Amino acid sequence: MKKISSVIIVFAIMLAASLTVISTASAETIKITGVISKIEIAADQKSAIAVIKDNKSGESISITIADELTLDKLKDKRILEGDEIRTKFEKEGDKNTSKMFKKTAGC
Amino acid sequence: MSGKIAAIMLGCALLATTAVAKEHPGKEQILKDGYQGPKTCETCHPGKAKEFLGTVHWKHASKVDHVDNLNPNEEHGMKNRIYTMCNGNDIVNNLKEVPPNALGKTKFTGCNTCHPGDHASDVGSTGPQAEQAIDCLICHSSKYDFSKRKPIKDKNGNVVMTQDRSTEAAANIGRPSIKNCMVCHEAAGGGAMIKRGFSMAKDAEVHVTKGIICVDCHQVKNHKFPTGRDPNNWAHDGIYMTCVGECHTSKPHTDADYNRHTDKIACQTCHIPRTGGAFSKDFTKWEKQSNGFYEPSTLKREVNETAPVYAWYNLTVSNTPTFIGPKGSRTDGKSKIYPFKVFQGKAYFNKKNGQLMSMDFAPPISNGDSLAGVASAAKILGIKDYEPVPGWQTIYFGSNHQVTPKNKALTCANCHAVNGVLDFKELGYAAKEIEKLTNPELYFEKLLKLQQEDE
Ligand code: HEC
Ligand code: HEC
Ligand code: HEC
Ligand code: HEC
Ligand code: HEC
Ligand code: HEC
Ligand code: HEC
Repeated sequence: MKKISSVIIVFAIMLAASLTVISTASAETIKITGVISKIEIAADQKSAIAVIKDNKSGESISITIADELTLDKLKDKRILEGDEIRTKFEKEGDKNTSKMFKKTAGC
Repeated sequence: MSGKIAAIMLGCALLATTAVAKEHPGKEQILKDGYQGPKTCETCHPGKAKEFLGTVHWKHASKVDHVDNLNPNEEHGMKNRIYTMCNGNDIVNNLKEVPPNALGKTKFTGCNTCHPGDHASDVGSTGPQAEQAIDCLICHSSKYDFSKRKPIKDKNGNVVMTQDRSTEAAANIGRPSIKNCMVCHEAAGGGAMIKRGFSMAKDAEVHVTKGIICVDCHQVKNHKFPTGRDPNNWAHDGIYMTCVGECHTSKPHTDADYNRHTDKIACQTCHIPRTGGAFSKDFTKWEKQSNGFYEPSTLKREVNETAPVYAWYNLTVSNTPTFIGPKGSRTDGKSKIYPFKVFQGKAYFNKKNGQLMSMDFAPPISNGDSLAGVASAAKILGIKDYEPVPGWQTIYFGSNHQVTPKNKALTCANCHAVNGVLDFKELGYAAKEIEKLTNPELYFEKLLKLQQEDE
């Protein structure tokens, strides 16, 4: 029984993975720079949502962050609310998924 | 033989994981008495703070004897060097608040933000106050709260770096993790992976995948960090290291065809086939950002996006105003072929003496005026007689990290095919030799056999 359910899970993951592949083809990549107004780390610690105020448009945009390295920086506060960051994200319907999320820095 | 290699690798990996898991024996005491800075550590680890003050991580400099045109009695490093990856140093770019930009915004900037002191005790400072200013926890704590580490103005108007000195952080002490080291190393050169262009993420590097971390390879003793001979990493603690040592011999392959190459070709050449990051910057032209501040214009690539340049290197360095890179040749008996990341930067040279000038970034960050930056740096250094003219410098960085999975290491045809990665002519081989080195006779049988095994 245990085995069967894990097979189903694997299948579900594969299905989900193949769906994302299909949909990313239509996703749009956007780059912005702006100040973080809010960071919320998910209860399971596996993702976070950061709200960025775009310097150019003044618009606030919510971006989901799931990569381990950036998540870690949010958790130990190397990246904070009030910091200015540069991000590249994929827009897909209502969801914006971060592909790059770095503090701005001179030299 | 390969079983033996596997055992050694496993040994290194185990060493890594067991050490991390161990709890620090000082924990109880620290929880009870709290953390008052290095003197708390020194109740059980006497002498560690003083010892740290003598290292490159505190001094950002050391005597250097393998680089041309330097006074061997003086110390050199990030403290006082000038090159075009970052056109200044700790002295001219001492941590400070930049003048307000057109939007009225200001910020703190300075090279010595990557120093484990509090700025009141700065790069190279000595004495009891400096000892107590060391941020031991930035390297040793797994619970460091980085929101507590930032430049601020104290009540006298001096800029200081604050630290996380909480009991929580001090109670979680251990060997430094990759993350501890990457606090400073990741963003060297002006942003994540800009200078080095290598990633130490778990899925990006074969050693890290196996649980091997920075300090497993860099075996630090008494806070002296072993380092290599990157032509642009001069300062050292007097201990050198290469890939060959505790974990690998100089003939590590079961296949003699690879081992025959290791006298002439460095391990990195075959095992680190890519590099990345910034490949050119122009410090004479600063670009305005959407926040009103300016940055030096920079051309960059992703991690692993660029091919390295290969050159003979005898571990001594040519250092002129327009070139800092490897010396060596095919025939000197000491050189091997190494991979390098080549970088070209534009900045101002002093027409009066041909020397590269440095720049204080505070003026150009706020208004884009790079010449005001040169003038400010010249003033700080007491240089009066100068005429700045723009020019280019070429520098070679070693490519010594991000070892690729072994099935992606360079193999016979990557080099011996006619369009291979090595420019044999440039490397000093004669036409007759090149004909031989690019003849499939060298590898045909071997690769055919491998191909058959694969099918
Ligand atoms: C109450 C005593 C005590 C205090 C206080 C103390 N330590 Fe230790 N520490 C020890 C002992 C005992 C060991 C184990 C010694 C050994 O292995 O040689 C140790 C080991 C270490 C190690 C090696 C850890 C490893 O896993 O290899 C580090 C690093 C270290 N301490 C750093 C610190 C720092 C930094 C502080 C101050 C925040 C500190 N210690 C405070 C007692 C203490
Ligand atoms: C984010 C931390 C950080 C900042 C900020 C920083 N550096 Fe560095 N720098 C490093 C590290 C780490 C190294 C050594 C490793 C390397 O070169 O990758 C280094 C090395 C250097 C070296 C080579 C030193 C030697 O021994 O040969 C120079 C020169 C240098 N930096 C200049 C600068 C200048 C100029 C600035 C400021 C404009 C600056 N750095 C700001 C982290 C930093
Ligand atoms: C730049 C990073 C860095 C800083 C800052 C630093 N250390 Fe360390 N320390 C290391 C490394 C790396 C090791 C070696 C760890 C290993 O391989 O086990 C080490 C080892 C130690 C050890 C155990 C081995 C030994 O030499 O006894 C102690 C104790 C220690 N450090 C205490 C301190 C104290 C106290 C401070 C502050 C005064 C401090 N460290 C600051 C990097 C640092
Ligand atoms: C507080 C910032 C900071 C931290 C944390 C830090 N480094 Fe460094 N490191 C530097 C700077 C800056 C330099 C270059 C200084 C110079 O060359 O003048 C440097 C130089 C080095 C060098 C070459 C020079 C030498 O000392 O031999 C090595 C190797 C090195 N670091 C390894 C490490 C490792 C491993 C860790 C983690 C235990 C670490 N560093 C943590 C800032 C840091
Ligand atoms: C698999 C072993 C290994 C690991 C892991 C490793 N290094 Fe190194 N590192 C080396 C070797 C080997 C050299 C010197 C190579 C040479 O010059 O021949 C080196 C050189 C360096 C240098 C000198 C500049 C350069 O790039 O050549 C710095 C700084 C440095 N390492 C920092 C780090 C930091 C920080 C980490 C962790 C994020 C790290 N290293 C992880 C093996 C390692
Ligand atoms: C001429 C290119 C070349 C050079 C030089 C070279 N290697 Fe390799 N190495 C390879 C290739 C290709 C493989 C993968 C071979 C295979 O899987 O059959 C490999 C495999 C390895 C392995 C894995 C062995 C195993 O059995 O899993 C290690 C470890 C290794 N090399 C270390 C080194 C070290 C250390 C050096 C420098 C002393 C070095 N290599 C120099 C090309 C090279
Ligand atoms: C990183 C590039 C590189 C790779 C990979 C490489 N070689 Fe070489 N090989 C060289 C260079 C450079 C020389 C000349 C070395 C010298 O000057 O002695 C050489 C020399 C040789 C020679 C001696 C030629 C002569 O007549 O002197 C043979 C045979 C050879 N390689 C075969 C191979 C085989 C087989 C493989 C794959 C297992 C291989 N090489 C992989 C670069 C490479």
